[in-house]
Amino acid sequence: MGYTSTLRASVMGAALVAASVPASAETFRWASGTDPQTMDPHAVSSAPVLSFLNNIYEGLVRRDRDMSIEPSLATSWAPLDGENGWRFNLREGVTFQDGAAFTAEDVFFSYQRAASEASDVRSWFAPVSEVRVVDDFTIDFVTTAPNPLFPDSIANFMILDKGWAEANDAALPARDAENFATLNVNGTGAFTLGARDPGVRTTLVPHEGWWDTPEHNVTEGIFTPIGNAATGLAALLSGDIDFIQPIPLQDIAQVESREGFQVLEGIETRVIMFGFGHEHDRLLYSSDVTDANPFQDVRVRLAAAHAIDVDTMNRVIFRDKVDPASQLVPAGISGYSEANSARIPYDPDRARELLAEAGYPDGFSFGLKCTNDRYINDEAVCRAAASMFAAVGLNAELSTGPVRDYWPQLREDDFDMYLLGWSPGTFDMEHPIRFLKHSQDDERRLGSWNFGNFSNARVDELLPMIQQELDPAARQAMIDEVVAISQQEVAYIPLYVQPLIWAAKDNVDLTQRADNFFMLRWVTVN
Amino acid sequence: MAYFILKRLVQSVFVMLAVAFLAFSLFRFVGDPVSQMTGVETSIEDQERLREDLGLNDPFVVQFARFTGDLVRGDFGFSYRTRQPVAEMIADRIPATLELGVVALLISLIVGIPAGVYTALRPRGALTQTILLTTLVGVSIPTFVIGILLIFLFGVQLGWFPTFGRGGTVQIGGWESSLFTLDGWRAILLPAVTLGVYQLTLTMRLVRAEMMEVLRSDYIRFATARGVPYRSLYYRHALSNTMIPVITIIGLQFGGVIAFSIVTESVFQWPGMGLLFLESIRFVDIPVMGVYLVVIAFFFVLVNLIVDLLYVAIDPRLRIRDLA
Repeated sequence: MGYTSTLRASVMGAALVAASVPASAETFRWASGTDPQTMDPHAVSSAPVLSFLNNIYEGLVRRDRDMSIEPSLATSWAPLDGENGWRFNLREGVTFQDGAAFTAEDVFFSYQRAASEASDVRSWFAPVSEVRVVDDFTIDFVTTAPNPLFPDSIANFMILDKGWAEANDAALPARDAENFATLNVNGTGAFTLGARDPGVRTTLVPHEGWWDTPEHNVTEGIFTPIGNAATGLAALLSGDIDFIQPIPLQDIAQVESREGFQVLEGIETRVIMFGFGHEHDRLLYSSDVTDANPFQDVRVRLAAAHAIDVDTMNRVIFRDKVDPASQLVPAGISGYSEANSARIPYDPDRARELLAEAGYPDGFSFGLKCTNDRYINDEAVCRAAASMFAAVGLNAELSTGPVRDYWPQLREDDFDMYLLGWSPGTFDMEHPIRFLKHSQDDERRLGSWNFGNFSNARVDELLPMIQQELDPAARQAMIDEVVAISQQEVAYIPLYVQPLIWAAKDNVDLTQRADNFFMLRWVTVN
Repeated sequence: MAYFILKRLVQSVFVMLAVAFLAFSLFRFVGDPVSQMTGVETSIEDQERLREDLGLNDPFVVQFARFTGDLVRGDFGFSYRTRQPVAEMIADRIPATLELGVVALLISLIVGIPAGVYTALRPRGALTQTILLTTLVGVSIPTFVIGILLIFLFGVQLGWFPTFGRGGTVQIGGWESSLFTLDGWRAILLPAVTLGVYQLTLTMRLVRAEMMEVLRSDYIRFATARGVPYRSLYYRHALSNTMIPVITIIGLQFGGVIAFSIVTESVFQWPGMGLLFLESIRFVDIPVMGVYLVVIAFFFVLVNLIVDLLYVAIDPRLRIRDLA
C-alpha cells in the first residue's frame, strides 16, 4: 500500500482541519459505559483506562486514525546493531504537564514501573532483557530474540515523569491501595486532568505546552460514565452530551430518525468465535454421550462449523452490521491471511453427513456456555447458534451468565463448547496465535486463553519463528500455514467481526478508531 | 429510655454482623475479582499472585474474620476496582442517596396525604377514580420503565429537565448537596418522582383506608351530630388519628427507599450509593459490596429505631407503659 499517499492524505487532512478550526471556545461532553478505574497508566490494563489515559499520557509511538504506528515521544526508531532490540530516538523540547522536561530517564523510569510486579501491563515487556539509557534523548530496548513487532506492541506504554512520581510516592503502580497517581496525572499528552470525581465526572483541559499542533478546538472535555444504555441515549438526544460510545444496535434507527445527530459505524477488531474442549475426554453436559468427547473428532468440529449460518445471524441479530469472519483477526489487520479468507460455508446437509461418518447419525447433546453482558447481542447469538446446531442434530444445552463469572468457569474447564471474543491487542495475527492457538504453557505464558487447549505441534513450532521473522513475506507464509492448519483442524469456529457503533451530535467531527479508543485530540466542535 | 436505645444499638451490631456474614457467603458466587481487575494479557502467574496478595485464597472463615476485624477497627479497606479507600467512596456517595430518598419521601407525603384525604372524602367522585387508577398503573409499572418514560417525556421531548446526574451541587462542609441550586432541583425532580411513586401510592391508599375507617367511628358520628364544622372534623379530628399508623409505615418504608434506590440511581445515573453498589457488582468489588451492605443494614436499624422512638412520642400510652 502507498505509505506516502497515506502520509500525504493525513498531512492534507491535518492542514484542512487546522484551517477550519474556529476560534471559539468549546466544551465537549461525552459519555461511555464504564468509568476508567484509575488514572494510573500502569495499574490496570483495561480498554476504558488505556483509552482514556491516551488523552493525557503518551507513548514512544502512537496509533494514527487508521491504527498505523507513528512517532510520538520517539521521533524515530531502528533495530539495534549487533544485538536484538530497538533504539528509540526521543523528541527534544517536550515538557510534562507540570513543566518538567522529558528525557530518556523518564522513559527508563516508566519502563521499570510498567515492568514491575505491581504493574498490570508488564506482559508487554516480557521479551525485554535490558533497557539502556544511551544519552538524554536516546534509549535502547534490548530483547531476548529478534522482535520486529516490539515498537507496535508498546503503543499504549505511557510515559510519566520520574521526578513527579518519586516526589509523590508513586514510583510503583498502586495495586491494592491508592497512591498519588491513582487520582492525579502528569503526562506529556494533549490534555491534562481538570477535575476527577471517580464514577461521576472527569474533566480534561488542554495542555498548553503540548509539543504537537492541536487539531481540536476543545477547551474543556467533560466525561461522564453512563452505565444504562437507555439513559445514555436519552442524554445524547436531549443534548446533555455531545457524544456517546457505544450505543446498542437497536437504537441506531432512533438516533438516525432525529435531526441533528449522526451514527458512526465501523468494524471493531474483535472477532467472535466458538471454542471447543479439545482436550476434554468426555462431554460434561451431555444427556446421551457421556463416555466420550465427540468434538475431539475433526469431522464433528467441521460439522458444527457447517451448521452455522452466519449470514442469517447477521441479518436477524445484527441488522447487517457485522462482517463474517474466516479467521481470528479481521481483514486489514497485519498478518491477515488472504490465502485463507474463505469461511467454512453454511451446509447443513454436509454437516449431517459428517456427523454420520463420525458415528453420530442421530447427533448428540452437549453444553454451550455463553456470556450475556460481554459482547454485542451475545446471548441472542448463542440462542440462534443453538437452533442452527439443533437443525443438524447437535443439541446444545445453552447456559448464559455474566462475564464476571465466566472466565473462572472456562479456566476450570467447565464447558463443552464456549463463546469467546478476541481483539488482537497488538493489531497483529501473532497475538491470537500466542493466546488462543499455541498449546497452554503457563511457564512460557503462552496459550493462556486457549481454554480448550487446542494443541498442534506445527503451530507451536511456528509461533516463535513468526515472532522473530524480520522478512514480511516469510512471516506471512508462516502465518498462512498456521491459519490453514486452524481451518483444517477447526480449532475454533470464527463467526463475525463485532461492529462498532458510536453516536454524536451532527456538529461534532471526531474519529472512530478500530480499537474503540476515543481521542479527544481529534474532536472538532463546529 | 437510654437503656432502650442502647439495647437497640447493641442489637444493630448483631444485625450488621449477620448481614455481613450472609453477604460474604454469597460473594463467592458473584464472580472472580481478579479476572475483573486485570487485563487479558496478564499472565496466570501474575493473577495468582494478586489473588494471594488480596487474601482471596484464604478459607471463607478467615476472609470473613479479617473483614469484620478491620471494620471493627474502623478500617474499611480499599476498593478492588478504583483502589480508593472504601470509607471515602461510600461517604462521598451518601449525600446523593439520602437527598434523593428524602425528596422522594417528601413528594410522596405532599401529594399522597392530600390525595388520600380527598379520595376518602369523595369515594365515588370521578377524580377519585382517576387518581386511584393512575396510581395503580404507577405501581404496576416497574421503576426503571417509569424512569425511562419520564426521561424521554420530560428530558428528551420537552427538554425541561436534565436526563442524568445531579446537576449543580454545592459543597457544605463534607456534604455535597444539590438542594441549594435551581439546577440541582431540576435534576433531582425526575428521579425523586420515580423513586417516590410507590411510596406515594402506598401513602395515599393507607391514608384513604385509615380515613374511611376513622370516618365511620363513633366519635366522628357523634361530632357530626354535635355540629362540629366539617373542616375541623376532617382535618383536626379524623386526619390526626389517621396519621399514627401512616407515620409508622412511612418511616419503616424509608429504609427501603434508601436501600432500593439502586434501580432509580442506575436509570438516572444518579451518583449515590446504589449506583456505586451496582458498579461494584459488575467488577466483583468485594470490599465495597461488603461495606455497602453493612451500611444499609445500619440504616435499616437506625430508621426502625427512630420509628420506635417516634411511636413512643406520638402515642402517650407507650410512654406510660415504659415508665411503669
